[in-house]
Parts: sequence; C-alpha cells; structure tokens
Amino acid sequence: MSGRACALLLAALVFAPPVQAELYYVIVGGLGGAPDYEEAFAAHVRALSQAAERTLGDDARVTVLVGDDATSDALRKSLGELVERTEEADRLAVFLVGHGSFDGTQYKLNLPGPDIDGAELQALLAAIPARSQLIVNATSASGAVLEEWGTEDRTVITATRSGAERNATRFAEYFAAALSAEEADINKNGMITAREAFDYAERRVADSFESEGTLATEHPQLVGENAAAFDVARLRARPAERPEVVALTAERDALEERIAALRLEREELGAEYLPQLQALLVELALLQERIDAAEAQ
Amino acid sequence: MNLRHLPSAVCVMGLVVLAASAGAYEIEYSPERPAELAACDRARYRGERAEAGGCYQALVAHEDPRIKAEAARALGNQRGANAFFQTAVEQYVDDAAVRARWGYLFLETHQDSEAAKLFQESLRLDPEHVPAIVGLARISAGRFEERTRELIEEALELDTDNLGVLLLRARMDLEEGVIDRAELGLDRALEIAADQGVAPLEIYALKASADLLRGTVDSEWTDRALAYDPSYGEIYATPAYFYVITRRYREAIELYRKAVEIEPDLYAAHADLGANLLRENKVAEAQQHLALAYRGDPFSAPTVNTLRLIDSFDNFVVSRFGKADDPASADPGVLLRLHKDEAQVLEPYVLDLVDRSIEVYTERYGFELAEPVVVELYPDHDDFAVRTSGLPGIGLLGVTFGYLVAMDSPSGRSEGDFHWGTTLWHEMAHVFTLEATNHLVPRWFSEGVSVYEEWSTGPLSGRHIPAEVFQAIGEDKFLPVADLDRGFIRPTYEGQVIVSYMQAGLICEYIAANWGQQALEAMLEAYRDDLDTPTAIHTALRIASEAFDEQFAAYIDAELGTVVANLTSWGAEQRAAHESAQRGQWEEAAAASERAIELYPEYVDAGSAYLIRVRAQEETGAHDAAVATLREYHRLGGYDPSALMQLGRWLVDAGERDAAIDVFEDVLLVAPLSEPVHADLGDWLLAADRPEQALAEYEALFAMQPHDQAAAHFRLAKAHYSLDNLPLAREHLLYALEIAPHYREAQQLLLEIVR
Repeated sequence: MSGRACALLLAALVFAPPVQAELYYVIVGGLGGAPDYEEAFAAHVRALSQAAERTLGDDARVTVLVGDDATSDALRKSLGELVERTEEADRLAVFLVGHGSFDGTQYKLNLPGPDIDGAELQALLAAIPARSQLIVNATSASGAVLEEWGTEDRTVITATRSGAERNATRFAEYFAAALSAEEADINKNGMITAREAFDYAERRVADSFESEGTLATEHPQLVGENAAAFDVARLRARPAERPEVVALTAERDALEERIAALRLEREELGAEYLPQLQALLVELALLQERIDAAEAQ
Repeated sequence: MNLRHLPSAVCVMGLVVLAASAGAYEIEYSPERPAELAACDRARYRGERAEAGGCYQALVAHEDPRIKAEAARALGNQRGANAFFQTAVEQYVDDAAVRARWGYLFLETHQDSEAAKLFQESLRLDPEHVPAIVGLARISAGRFEERTRELIEEALELDTDNLGVLLLRARMDLEEGVIDRAELGLDRALEIAADQGVAPLEIYALKASADLLRGTVDSEWTDRALAYDPSYGEIYATPAYFYVITRRYREAIELYRKAVEIEPDLYAAHADLGANLLRENKVAEAQQHLALAYRGDPFSAPTVNTLRLIDSFDNFVVSRFGKADDPASADPGVLLRLHKDEAQVLEPYVLDLVDRSIEVYTERYGFELAEPVVVELYPDHDDFAVRTSGLPGIGLLGVTFGYLVAMDSPSGRSEGDFHWGTTLWHEMAHVFTLEATNHLVPRWFSEGVSVYEEWSTGPLSGRHIPAEVFQAIGEDKFLPVADLDRGFIRPTYEGQVIVSYMQAGLICEYIAANWGQQALEAMLEAYRDDLDTPTAIHTALRIASEAFDEQFAAYIDAELGTVVANLTSWGAEQRAAHESAQRGQWEEAAAASERAIELYPEYVDAGSAYLIRVRAQEETGAHDAAVATLREYHRLGGYDPSALMQLGRWLVDAGERDAAIDVFEDVLLVAPLSEPVHADLGDWLLAADRPEQALAEYEALFAMQPHDQAAAHFRLAKAHYSLDNLPLAREHLLYALEIAPHYREAQQLLLEIVR
C-alpha cells in the first residue's frame, strides 16, 4: 500500500464515525416430530420474529430458521456469518424453540437431519464477536446447557432446570408472548428486557401447572448478571429520532437517575419520601408530555 | 401439639408398631379360647384391671407362643405379641387359628391389608375357619363393602352361634336403620352368651345403641353394663358412634365424654371425641383429646392426620361477622376460616354467597339459624379429606356437620373442575336441613333439598344431571323413597351414590312442584318429630309412600323420558362431534354437535357439544353464531371458565359490556383466583361507572400479588379517583410510578390530580 493510501486509511480510521451497537437475532424452530408440535413451534417462531422485526424496524438483522430449513448446517452457516457481521459492541439474541434431549452427557437440539449438540453450539456462539449475548433455549432438557453456556457477558435462559426435565415445554409459548405483552413490561418503558421476559414467562409456566392441579414438569432458569439491562424487544415501533427529542430524552434519563437515587433513600426519608417522589414524578410526567409533543411533530 | 416432623398424611404403616395400651379391648367369644387366658379375661371384663394385668403378665412366660402372644396383646404389648405370633406361626405351620389370631393383632394396629393377608392364609389352611371369615367381614364392613353380608352369611352357615359374627351383623343392621332385625340378632346373642358364659358387655352396648336409635336415651342396658364392669367405656362410646353416623355430633360428644370419664385410657374414644369436637369448632379441646389418643395409639392415621390438620390452622385466617363477631348482633353471624394465601381474595365472595344463602333458606324453610355458621375452605384437598374423615383421598367436595361447613377451596382442584359457588350453596342448605330437624333429617332428604336448591335458587342455572343417571333411570334403578338412604350408605353398584343424589333432588323438585315449597318445610317438621320417611310423606303430603313412588315415576317419565330415550343417540353424536373436532373437520363437528344439542339441549357439563359447536363455528368463520352458541351455553348453566372468559371478551368487543360483566361475575364462582378475570372485570365495571365494584375487583387482584404490580396500583388509583378518594388515588399512582416511572397513563392521571 502507498504512503498516501496509508495516510488516507489512517485518517479514515481516525475520523470514522463512532460504531453504532446493533442487535442481531437468530430464531430457530427445531424439529416438531408431530403435527401439533410443528404447528406450535412455528407459531412461537412467528411471534418471536414479529417481536424482533418490530424492535429493529425491519428484518435485516433477523435470521429465522424453521421447518425443513432449520438444519444443523443452516444454523452453523447463520452463526458463522455473524462472526463476520458483528462487532464487539453489538448484541446478539438467540432463541431456540423445539425439542431438546440429554443423554446424561451431551445435550442435543433436535433438528431436521443430524442434531447439533450443546458443545458445538457453545463454540459457535463463543466465536461471535458480539459481546453482550442473550441465549434463550426454550427446549426440553435445555437445563443441561445452563452451566456450559454461561459466560461473563452472556445471559442464558433455559426452559428447564436440568437435562432430566424431558417433557415438551410450555416456556417457549410464554416467552414468545412476553416479548409483546404489556403485562411483561414491569417498568412500563415500552421495552422488554431479558429479565422481564423471563419473569413473566416463568410465572405463567408455574400458574399453568397450578391451575391444572398438576406437578410442574419444567422449571425455567436464568443465569447472567446483565438480564435486566438487555433490552430484547420493543413493544411499539421505534419513533423517529429528532435532535430535540434526543435532548429531552437525555433530560429524562437524568431525571430517572434522580428518581432511582431517591428510591434508595426511601427508608431514611420516611414520611418525606412520597412527597419528594411525587415532585420528581410530576416533573418527569411534564417532561414526558414535551417529549410526546416533540415526537408527534 | 405440633406434628410437623411426621410425614404428611399418614395412610398406611408397613410395620407393626409399639404402642401403649389402646385401652379398648375386644370381648373374646371363642369357646376354644385357652382356659388360662379365659381366666384372665373374666377379671378384665369385670373391670378388675390389676388382677387381669397380673394374670396376663404371668402368661407371657408360658411355653406356648400362642398363649404368650395373646397375653402380650392383652397387655397392650403389640410388638411383643407380633414377635410371639411369628414364632407361633413357625411352630404351628398348619394352624389356621394362629394365623387368624395374628390377623386380629394387625386389625388392632389399623393395618387392614396385613390382617387380610393373614386371614386369607388361614382360610387356605382351613376354608371353614370362621374367625378368619369374620376377620375379613370386619375389614369389609369397615369399608362399607357390599360383600360384607355374604361373608357374614358364610360364617353363620358354618357356625350359627358365632357371637362375633352375630354382633357384626347386628351392628350393620343398626347402621342401616333396620333396628328390629338388629334387636332379634342381639336377643339371640344374649341367649348364646348366657349359655356359653361369656361377657355380654358388647351386646349390652349394641342394645343401648338400638334404644338410642329408637329415641330412648336412658337405656336399661347401660345400667346393666356398668353393673357388670363400672369402667366399661364402650357402653357410651358404641352408642356415640351411632349418634355420629346419624350426624348428631353434639349428642355423640356428650356420650364420648362419659366414656372417657369412666375409662380414661379408652384412646379410641378420645380420638372420636376429638374429631367430633372439631366438627363443633371446639379446636382447643379437640386437640387435647386427640393428643391423648395419639399418646395411647400413635399410629392411628386419622388421629395423626387430624392433629396435623389442627397444626395447619396456623396458616388460616379467621374472620368473624355478625354475631360471631359481636354477640349482641341480631345477625346469626358467620365465621370464615380461609387460608392466609387466599383469604383476602376469597372472603368477599364467600361471605356474599353465605349471606345470600342464609337469607334465601331462612325464607324458604321458615327456620332461623341460632348460631354462627362456620365456613372453611381448604386449598389442600387432603386437608379437607382429613377434616371430613381423618384420611386423605376422599371424593367429596364439601361436607356439613351442622353449623360447620368444610369444603375444597377453588384452588384445591384444577381450575374449572367444580363450581365452588354451587358447592357452597349446596352445603349451606344442609346447615338448614340439619339444624331445623335437630339432625334427625335422613340423609336422602337433606341431600335432596341441597340438590334441589342448587337447581332452583343456586348461582348456577339449570339441572346438572350426569349422563350415567339417565342411564340408571332407563334401567329402572331409582329406589323407592322409603329405601333411598340405602343408595347413599350402602351402594350396590358403581355410581349409585350419584344416582341417589340426583334422585333425591328430583324427588324434592317433584314435591315442590306438586305440593308447593311449603311441603318441603312440612317434611322437615315431620323429620324433626323423628318420623320415618313413609310417615313423614304421609303426614306432609297426605299420600302413601308407595303411591308417591308411582307418581314420582310418572313425573320422571314426563320430565326426562325424552332424554332417556335419546341417550344412546346423544352419546354417539357427542362422540362424533369430539372426534371430528380432533381431526379438524369442522363442518362435520358442527353438524354432529348440533344433533347432540337437539337430542339433549340442557347438557352443558363436561364434554358439552355446545363448546364443540362454538369452536366449529369460529373455525368456519361464523363468529356471530359462535357468540350466540356460547351465550346459550352460559344461559343453560355452562361454567367452563375458559369458555366464559372468551364469551365475556367477545361481548365487550360487540359493545355489550354489561352482559360481559354478568358473565365474568359468574366466572368468579368457578375461578375466583384468576388474575385476568379480576383485572378485566374491574376495568369493565369502572368503564360502566360502577367504581365501588371495580375497586373490589382491583383489591382482589392486588391481593393476589400480580406480576404487573405497577398496573395493579394504577387500577386501584383509577378506582379511588373515580370515588373522589384523591389521597388514596395519589398514593397508588406514586407506587405505580415508583415501579414504572415511564408509565404514561399513570403519569397523565397524576398530572390531572395535581393540576
């Protein structure tokens, strides 16, 4: 390369705009085996992909593998492509729906053709540069991978607590529903975090067994410190960003921090807490009115 | 006493246990009883306990292990007796008698299955060994099995003078109310006892029981027994049992008290006294007697289970209303015992139904309650079963002991499994029929009124008669009214109990239809005067019971004959509808379900064709028709909660909010612990400008600790705001926004309040 070219390249690197962190989705619907399961898994995948597209605004970063297309090779290819496409700052959400199995040693995801095992999936995921990862394994026996797949920056959610819980799971349905449920949005910010989705789905799973009067055959699990910070789905389409909205949003973020700080002083403040909270909340509400007006222009 | 360390719901013990003397002893009637033992027995039966004890103790050193075993057993050393019996069986391998005697030891320690095995081994050695047959008969009688009579007759054919079997038969006759026949048997037993020189104590106890069942409380037989053995507690405990099975718990309590007063170590009587005190809500005293019983017989499953149940009362909240809270109140009052996890949600609905039922039944039966009603709901079905019978695994939904009603909580079964509102309505009717007759009402009539009231005034419309009952009608299985109690107490075929329930309900319906509601009240008066059924019918209805049966049969034919005639076809169409639906063949499913409905329009219970038809209509795009079908299903008393929730939402979509509210209020009588029901119902009530009712729903929702706490607080805020209760509205808004600062709607309401 010539010196001028190097300088230009260096300049380009120095003056390159900051990288925007992107969220990528990979959604896999595994082998159903029976028509009822095929239909159910396809429905769950549809719900998940709709939530993903709504969150991103398009399907450019949503990979869906379902039915006959969901082979091990296709999954390897999709995950391999993300090695090239993603940056460290990016985020990755992988949803696995279907049947899993565990023989006491190895977990396998049941796919058309040869299955893929837990160790290989872990290797494929580990190779992807995107540092912040959410892996949701909603299959039977998924608990077998909980320990193996857990890493420092990764949130792992499984439908079962161990490989011994082998029944077809209900978790997938409720997790998929969580990504579009107002009820799951505990802090009402229009975003569903991994933690919110998990808590909603876990509760719905437990309630379903309780209302039937049967013993639960699955116990969802979550590992990872970042679940509450991983926004996995948006409940409404993202509004267009305007400079004035960005500024107001920053003001709102600062106000929310003050509210969060006040909450920590709840006990010390005693009777003074609610009036002070009200003052900040009124301020926040008024600010939100301005944001809504700005977005509506 | 706290038994938390014991395993839950003790049902079966696999080992013979060491126990102190259980107190009660059996009278030995066998002429082949070894003379040495018979000598000790004579002292025991005269109440000469010290002398008897010394006599048995000496025999524990006897060379014959059979004698040692019997002596140890008589001393209450069951483990020692067990060991001696093992030796005896090894030594006397072909002795049928020793195996049978060992079986009686297992009977004494509540191990019926082990006892039965030994009796059967004995019969393999000697098919005509009467004590073994009697042992099996006793087990069978304890389970109210029909084969008991066969075994008894078999034993009597082999030994016509066997006192054990004669007394067992007499006891069964008394249980069934055939007192004359029982008396004949007891008189015969007295003669045999005199001839054989055996203690007549048990016979005296059953004679006293017969007197009691005839209304004679001070029986000469009691004096005779006490003259024979002043410490014979069974002279009171045996008649007490007959009070219990005829639901006269207070009278039973008095007798059990007398039993334990003269025989303080009669542990079975302490256990029964405790169980019956619990039926009167005298919890502390019940616990004392049960604890005593436990010390004497620690592995009686009912005793252990009931003590554990009492311990679990710590987890229940007791709420008092009316006189139960304020003795000066004119309102008879209600006391609710609800589990702490669901008390806050269930209380208003339970109380409302109880109050309404009291109002309705007071009017309809002309009887005013004199005491507070106690209503208990058990989330754990086994706890309810123990409350009822001391053992888990009972098939009932509810039971009434007088002023105390115990039933499954809606959470005690899977959602939609039973209509708890109807069950409570049914049980409350029992409170009235029992108390209005001083508990003299026969079982059939009490059940009949309860079932009839479910159909006519209860929260669920229509008769709900299972298909098997129509089959029974077709097979002419209804009993004469004079014998209807038998269908409850000693059913002779599977399903006879439910058939009897329905027959009883239909009889009461027929009486009300032909003679008026006041005729049912007149029947209660007749029963209060302790008249039998034929006499009660004649007194209240001016008709002989045989003629009544004929007229009732004609009524059934007119009312249900068509359904009975169509039953097979209806069943076939139901099956066809289900099968078509499973295959996704919706046109066929719709057609089959329509035919089924035509054949039996009122059927809205499990597997109802209405729900298949709804699904088929939806699948074929006939939404309006689906809504209409579901409305009809609801109108006829269908209560599948998922179906009704769907109907409610469809009605709201169609702009019929008030109708939706009515539907969801009905859902609460099946599934009161459903968060979405309370949430949606509250929202609709608020939108319909009924904020107080909305608030009640939101409070129930909040008490369930819903997942979305911010939304729950916001709902409460809206309701309080509608009620102009601004401080509470603001408080709940702040809590909502504390959890969810971005909550737009809550922010907007907060601004509205502060501006």
